[in-house]
Amino acid sequence: MYSPFDINEAISHRKDYVEEGLRSGSPVVGITCEAGQLLLTVRRTHRKIYEIYDRQLYSAIGRQSDIENVRLTAIQNAHQEGFERSPDDVSLQRLVGFALSPTLKKAFGDQMYIPIVIKALFAELGRTQAMDCFYVLNYDGEFREYKNAAVIAGTHSAEEKMMDCIGVQDGELSRDAALQLALRAWIKGARDQVKRSNRSDEDDDILNPLREVDEVDADRVFLHDELKTSTVEAALLLRLQNKETRFQLIPEAELKNLISSFE
Amino acid sequence: MHSAVENAGNLWSLLEKSGHPLTQSSSYAELASGSGISEIHGTTVICVKFDKGVIALGDRRATANFSVMYDKAEKVLAIDDHTLLSISGSFAKAMEVVRYLRTSFKLYERTYLQSMSLEGKLAELAKVIRAGVPEALQGIGGFIPILATWDGDANEGRIFFYDGMGARFESTEFGAAGSGSTQIRGVFDYIVKTKKPFHHMTRDESLKEALLLLDIAADLDAATGGWAKVLPVAKTITVDGIADVDTDTLHSLIAEITATGNNS
Repeated sequence: MYSPFDINEAISHRKDYVEEGLRSGSPVVGITCEAGQLLLTVRRTHRKIYEIYDRQLYSAIGRQSDIENVRLTAIQNAHQEGFERSPDDVSLQRLVGFALSPTLKKAFGDQMYIPIVIKALFAELGRTQAMDCFYVLNYDGEFREYKNAAVIAGTHSAEEKMMDCIGVQDGELSRDAALQLALRAWIKGARDQVKRSNRSDEDDDILNPLREVDEVDADRVFLHDELKTSTVEAALLLRLQNKETRFQLIPEAELKNLISSFE
Repeated sequence: MHSAVENAGNLWSLLEKSGHPLTQSSSYAELASGSGISEIHGTTVICVKFDKGVIALGDRRATANFSVMYDKAEKVLAIDDHTLLSISGSFAKAMEVVRYLRTSFKLYERTYLQSMSLEGKLAELAKVIRAGVPEALQGIGGFIPILATWDGDANEGRIFFYDGMGARFESTEFGAAGSGSTQIRGVFDYIVKTKKPFHHMTRDESLKEALLLLDIAADLDAATGGWAKVLPVAKTITVDGIADVDTDTLHSLIAEITATGNNS
């Protein structure tokens, strides 16, 4: 039988295991803009931003198989709910709060299974702009709603840096301005993760690729370096749309313009 | 979360698990048949090609036995950005199938990150028609659709019609379904043989012929509403997707038909 100490110890081990797995995840930024709800990240091979339902987007960091499992569960729940009731009844509040969070909490507490390594960011386009929202869902089932902007990253420190960069937003940014801000915030978060992962090493200066670069140029150099092996990915849920689908992956040509503005 | 992969992209199996009536077709048909429930039916729908795609046209009438139940029924419905379903027969069943197809196509696309193929979409529609056969045999829930779509691979609009068992046929020029469709079937051939194939006509030429056909159907079939009281719904599918035909165009084409006479 477990003692309270054992339970705390076991949870602590599982937490460490998951957070180690999340630490190197490429951050994701969500910003509300005039055009709709925007998510942006930088990825290596797999797509990272997904349409879940008519007004819901999803992105996550963590283990790819876990990201995929949560994505499929969210898609199935949303479509079943949308068909059996109405698309208007599909909301992140129900999806995250009633379908995903309890399952993640159960999985995290179950000592018989390997913990699910995931931190997810959901975006929802409301019927009015005031109803737009983001949800951040953690590996232990904890979740939180945000308005106008939200981020996920491998460390709390990176998330703080990103939110500082984004500042207070009112959802009135143009699409291009939101893309710029999102990429800038991503750089701040990703740089912070790299810095912290190098800090514990004795040869900090040798391992840090930004050691001789002025802070002013550091963002540009960092992004340039990252994009040698990665790609910027951004998607919008369009507020005004007369087609069946509101989801739009931002075309590569437009992302090139965005990237070139950082060079 | 472990069963998520098992049902990935398959709305039908999700609904079967939840016991949705769409997948339990015979569960209530036996009770309903002969119970005096009057089912509302959509009447005549027409699809014709034109030089840039397909036009789908439907009158607005819905009937139950000999009663007109509704005069503003929508019987030409988008199921994705390039596919229209024109419905006739049981309104309840048809509307549920439209919702099913919309959801099913989106579920597939969002799950697998690619669109369902045209063959896949056609098979999905055949599956739901076939699932409703036990009900239809007992006199309730039968419906016949026409599916019109833009085929991106072939770069052309295409028209498919079905029988009550779910068999699918492709039409090179036109399709019609509903109570007024049998009365006008020969007229389609007459137009193609004496004027020109629909796919060589402009949008307005094709639409004018389709409106005339609808008018003939309304004259010969008591359940078809025509366009005398309420304008029909007309939509086009082209490479750019689905578009509504505006009411001014419909009014002007109807005026042309009326002006040429013999429309009494």
